[in-house]
Amino acid sequence: MKYLFYYPDKCTGCKQCAMACSLNKFGECNPKKSAISIVRDEFERYEYAIVCMQCEDAPCIEVCHQGAYYLEDNIIKRNDDQCIHCRLCAAVCPHSAITTIGKEIVKCDLCDGDPECVKYCSTEALVYQEETKEQSERRRQLAKKILSTS
Amino acid sequence: MQERKLAVVDLSRGKVTTRTIPKSWRKGFLGGRGINSYLLYNLIEKGTDPFSPRNALVLGVGLLGGTLAPSSCRFNASALSPETGLLGDSNCGGFFGPELRYAGFDHLILRGRAKRPSYVNIQDGEIEIRDGREYWGMDTYDVQKALRKDLGDVESLVCGVAGENKVRFACLRNGVKNAAGRCGLGAVMGSKNVKAVVASGTDGIKVEHPQEMLELVQDIKNYLMDSKITPILGSMGTPLLYEVSNAIGAIRTKNSQLNAWSDSLNAEELEKYVEKMISCSSCFMHCRHRNTFNGEGPEYTAVGLLGANLGLEDYPDVIKLNNTCNELGLDISSSGSILSWAFELYERGIIDKKLTGQELRFGDSELADELLHKIAGREGFGDVLAESSRAVKKFGPESKDYLIAVKGLPQSDPHDVRYIKAFALGIATASRGADHLRSRPTLEIFFRLPLEVKEKIYGKGITADPTSYEGKERAVCFSDNIFATIDSVGICKFICHGFNSPHFLGYEHFSKLLHAVTGMRYREKELENIGKRIIDTERMFNFKHGMTAKDDTLPKRYFDDPMTMKVSKGHKIDRKSFQKMKKRYYKLRNWDEKGRVKKQRVKEIESYGGLQ
Repeated sequence: MKYLFYYPDKCTGCKQCAMACSLNKFGECNPKKSAISIVRDEFERYEYAIVCMQCEDAPCIEVCHQGAYYLEDNIIKRNDDQCIHCRLCAAVCPHSAITTIGKEIVKCDLCDGDPECVKYCSTEALVYQEETKEQSERRRQLAKKILSTS
Repeated sequence: MQERKLAVVDLSRGKVTTRTIPKSWRKGFLGGRGINSYLLYNLIEKGTDPFSPRNALVLGVGLLGGTLAPSSCRFNASALSPETGLLGDSNCGGFFGPELRYAGFDHLILRGRAKRPSYVNIQDGEIEIRDGREYWGMDTYDVQKALRKDLGDVESLVCGVAGENKVRFACLRNGVKNAAGRCGLGAVMGSKNVKAVVASGTDGIKVEHPQEMLELVQDIKNYLMDSKITPILGSMGTPLLYEVSNAIGAIRTKNSQLNAWSDSLNAEELEKYVEKMISCSSCFMHCRHRNTFNGEGPEYTAVGLLGANLGLEDYPDVIKLNNTCNELGLDISSSGSILSWAFELYERGIIDKKLTGQELRFGDSELADELLHKIAGREGFGDVLAESSRAVKKFGPESKDYLIAVKGLPQSDPHDVRYIKAFALGIATASRGADHLRSRPTLEIFFRLPLEVKEKIYGKGITADPTSYEGKERAVCFSDNIFATIDSVGICKFICHGFNSPHFLGYEHFSKLLHAVTGMRYREKELENIGKRIIDTERMFNFKHGMTAKDDTLPKRYFDDPMTMKVSKGHKIDRKSFQKMKKRYYKLRNWDEKGRVKKQRVKEIESYGGLQ
C-alpha cells in the first residue's frame, strides 16, 4: 500500500507542492487553493505541510450526512455533486487537511494514485511510496545515525 | 491572458485608483523591473528631490511571479534614489511579491506623502491607507510580527528604523532576510510616512495552459536537479562565491587596500552555523541559510563586505552584523562599504575624533555593530555615515579618492574588479551604480574557459583572457540584457544563465514558461530585445535626472593603485583602455558617443504611452 510521507526537517517551505496541486485541480497557481498547505513562519522558524493522511477511520466520512465522502482503492474521495458545502468535514478533520476557500472544498485524492505534489518537491520532503519500503529506509537511516553517534 | 491590475495610491489625498495593465506594456516590458522602470521614466519629473512627495515608490512583480515557474518569487521596488539621485531599483525574493499578486495587483505606485505614519493594506483587491502610528519605531522583525498578530497571515514589505530616519541606504524588507536592498528605497518609504505595505489574497494566477506548465516545470526541475552544481548551490548558497574570488586575490579587503583575505570565511566554515537551508516561494534551490543566531543569511555580499572589508575573519561576527543590518533595515552592501571607507579615512588621518567622536578601526565587530545602530538612528557620527557617499561633504574632497562607489552607489560586489576587466565595465555602466546584479558576466571569472564557449555566448570579438579589455563590451552587453529580462519575468538570477551556469535557464525557458502562463508568444530574440529596451529606458531616466557619460566611471583607486596580492598582483585599470572599452560598449548598445539613447529610440519607447 502506497502512502504520502512528509519529512518536515527536509521541507524548505517553497510551496511548490501546493502550487502544483492548485494548478492541476483548478488551472491556477494559488497555494491557498490546494489540498496540501504549507504552514510557515520565518520568525518562528518553522515550515510544515498539512495534507490528508487518508485515515482508516476517517472522521470526514463519518460526519458527512450527505454521503459525499467515500472510500475507493483505499483513497478517501469526495463527490462534489453530493456535497451541500456545510464544511463540517473541514471542522472535524483531525489534521485540518480539508481546505475550504470561496466556493471550493479541496481534499487530497492522491490524484488517483499519481500525486502531482511530490513531483515538484526538490528535497524529497514529500514522497509517495510503499509503506514497507519507506519504513525500512527510515529504519536504516535511524540505525546509521545511532551507530555513528554512539 | 488574464487581465492584471495596477494601482496608484495617492497618500497625500488618501485616494486609490486602479487600472488594467495594457497588453502593449507586457509586449514591451513584460512586468517587474521592466514596467517599473518605464513607469518611473514617465512619473518622476526632472529636479525632483527623492524625499519629496513628488517622488514615487513603485512595486512591481514579474510576469511569472507567484506561479509554479521555478523561483518565480521576485519583484522590484523602484524610485528616484536618495542615495544616488538617479535610478533606484532593487530586486527582492521571499513571499511578498507572490502575495501582492494573490491580493490582486501586479504593480503598485505610492505617490505623495501621508499626513501621519501609515501603512497600506491590500486584501483581496481592496486597498486601504490605514493609521500606522502604533507600528512606527519598530524594527523590521517586530513590525512584521505585530502586523501578523493584528491582521493574520499576511506578507509585509516594511522599512525599518533606518527607513523612518531617511538613512540614504535604508532598505525595504520582507520576512527575516529578503531585502529590496539597494539605492535607499526604505528611506523613500519612510519619507512618505509609510511603515509597511501589507498584502494578503486568495486569488490565484490563472494559467492559460495548465498541463503544459506542469510538464514544462517538471522537466525544468529534473534538469536543474541533475546539474552537478545544484547540490552545491543548495547547501552553500551565494557565500560559495567568496572563495572563488579570494582564490585569485579579488576580494575587497579593508576598503580595497588589500585584495585577499582569510580562508576562514569560505562557505564550508559557514555550515557550522546553519540550522537549515530554506527557500523563497516556488524555489527548488533553497540557497538561504537559517542561521543559529536567530536570523537568516549571510549572503556573499555580507561575507565580503561585513567580513573581509571590515577586517573581520570569524563567521559569528559576520552573521551577527548581517542580522543587525536586517533588523534595522540597512542595505548590507552600502553598510559594509561606507564603514570600511570611514575606517580607512580615520587611519589616514583624513577624519579624526572631532568628527567621529570615537576611535575607528578595522577588525572590531562591536564597533561596527555600534555604528550600524548609530546610522539607523542618525545619532552622532552615525548621522554623517547615514548620508552614504554624500558624506564626502563632511569628510572633505580628499576622502573621495578612497570611496569605492560609482554614481554615488557603494559597490555591492565584494569582488575587486581591477583584475577582470569585464566586471569593471559592468559596475561602471550599470544603471543603478556600482552593482553586480545588473550585468556581472560571471563566466569571466573562469579564466580557463575555452574561447569558443565564450564566443558562443557573448559573440565573436570576445577574448578569452579576463584581464584583456578587448571585446569585453560584448560580455557586459549580453549580461545587461538578460539580467533585465530575468528581473522582469520575476525569476531569481541564481538559477539563470548569465549570472550563473550557462546551462541554467535562459531566453528559451522564459519563452516557454511565458507561453504556458500567459498564452502569449515571446520569441527568444524578442525577449532579448525587451531586455535592451529596459536598459535604454533606464538610461533615459538617468540622463533625464542629470547623469552624463562622465558618471560611467570607476573608483579612483581602481585606476591608480595596483593590486598587491595573489594572481591579481600588479593589476589595475588603465584609463585609456577603459575609455576605449566604454566607447565600444556605447556603440554596441547603439547609444551616441556621449552615451545617450538616440532620438529615434527615445521616440519608440515613449510611444508606449503614460499612465493616463
